[in-house]
Amino acid sequence: MRLWFPSLLVVAAFSSAQPSAARAQAIPRTADGKPDLSGIWQVLNTAAWDIQDHAAQKGAPGGPGVVEGNEIPYTPAALAQKKKNYEQRATLDPETRCYLPGVPHITYMPYPFQIVQKPTEVTILYEYVHTVRYIFTNNTPHPKGPIEWWLGDSRGRWEGDTLVVDVVHFNDQTWFDRAGNFHSEALHVVERYTPTDADHITYAVTIEDPTVFTRPWNMSMVLYRHKEKNFQLYEYECYGFDFEKIYPYPDLGAAR
Amino acid sequence: MKSNLIVALGICVLSTAALVGQESRPWPPQKLSDGQPDVQGIWAATMAGSTSLTNPISGGEDFDQRVSGKEIKRPSRIIDPPDGQLPYQPWAAARQKQEEKDYEHPTRPEHIDTQHRCLLSGIPRLYTIVPAYKIVQTPGQVIFIWDEYHAYRVIPLDNRPHPASNVKLWMGDGRGHWEGNTLVVDTTNVRGARLTYIGDFYTDNAHVTERMTFNDANTMTYEATVTDPTVFTRPWTMRIVHKRRPDDEVWENSCWEGNVNPDVWLDKK
Repeated sequence: MRLWFPSLLVVAAFSSAQPSAARAQAIPRTADGKPDLSGIWQVLNTAAWDIQDHAAQKGAPGGPGVVEGNEIPYTPAALAQKKKNYEQRATLDPETRCYLPGVPHITYMPYPFQIVQKPTEVTILYEYVHTVRYIFTNNTPHPKGPIEWWLGDSRGRWEGDTLVVDVVHFNDQTWFDRAGNFHSEALHVVERYTPTDADHITYAVTIEDPTVFTRPWNMSMVLYRHKEKNFQLYEYECYGFDFEKIYPYPDLGAAR
Repeated sequence: MKSNLIVALGICVLSTAALVGQESRPWPPQKLSDGQPDVQGIWAATMAGSTSLTNPISGGEDFDQRVSGKEIKRPSRIIDPPDGQLPYQPWAAARQKQEEKDYEHPTRPEHIDTQHRCLLSGIPRLYTIVPAYKIVQTPGQVIFIWDEYHAYRVIPLDNRPHPASNVKLWMGDGRGHWEGNTLVVDTTNVRGARLTYIGDFYTDNAHVTERMTFNDANTMTYEATVTDPTVFTRPWTMRIVHKRRPDDEVWENSCWEGNVNPDVWLDKK
């Protein structure tokens, strides 16, 4: 495939010089030398259920968290709110209403997503509720605001091999997970996408929200490339309002 | 209906934008690294609207005709059969009439059109709506991303097989190839869906073949041939012309999040 042609050249050059590095395929690159993040990716963790260390419960897999140091520095009032969210999560969790899940939550939903990279814009198509996100990489600033978007406004830049994305202009209607971890509309997210070889991206996130947290805190996880032959995104049209019972309409099961 | 007003406002905004969208772009188009003609950018249908395929009046015209009581006629989008009508089987023609009544006077949640619930409208319906969409091309694929409903479709050009036939997708599953400046897309795996507000429909047995011919730097002729032996007596083809729009940034368009309990839409009389 033409997409991979530059990367193969790099591998060939690299492996002759450094045999130990040949096992891991080198990072694919675009014509302008930037890492090419294009492809279909997915996390292999349980952060969508709880971003902190957690044991399994019925219907919810357990696993190590993705928060560095595991502690989230809530203010005392916010910590009380988090506990209330957790206790009432069956009714309060915005995910049950199929809203766009916010950033970085959309990244670690247990569904694949496709990165489409262009020099001035990186588009991410997520399978979960067909979420679309544009990351503008043309040196433009955030719009002035105030704006409250579900996914915020994303402006990216390259620092070496890392795509750094600054995201602001959120609403306060999304959670970080199903365990009640939350933020306000003052949320400021910095994402760092660093490819470590052809098939892995280290995804590091800094969360800042002075109305909810006493200091910035970090998450870190790995994004894995889907390598299955002919892998493609399907759809997850979220089924709020019991739509699966009423559409498609007309229901022509009898006619068929 | 409230949606008609919103659509009418949308048309006012977009028709102004059309005048400034004709930027100078090379024609014939430049070739991308994998040989595809470069047709990237923002596009939208002209004379758009989901009211009807056979009398495709806009939402604004639909509103006018309801207020004035005077019927407005527009040329049918159906180019085959030549009479411009959808070739329904008798039972399906009756069903369409019933669907039209259900749309006007919804008494059950399923009578509400999927567009009003912000669900994906599928193919070819999304090529008839007013809001714009964006074409992005990368090696081996063409991607369409709609402003409305954050709908998208990724069309691989490598002739890979479709998913198993029991997989039904709101957007169907498209496989494309270029014939000169025409993108030909074969779409299977669709879910049965309404095609218009007046109750036109196909079932999940439908097969859609699209031909998107880029006529010049700013014009694309969209044609879709729908084959569904469950509903129609023969295949039929629709046509709608699309124009390029300015390359503005696309900002978040959340539709679903305004969803309310369907009861508030239903006709209680």
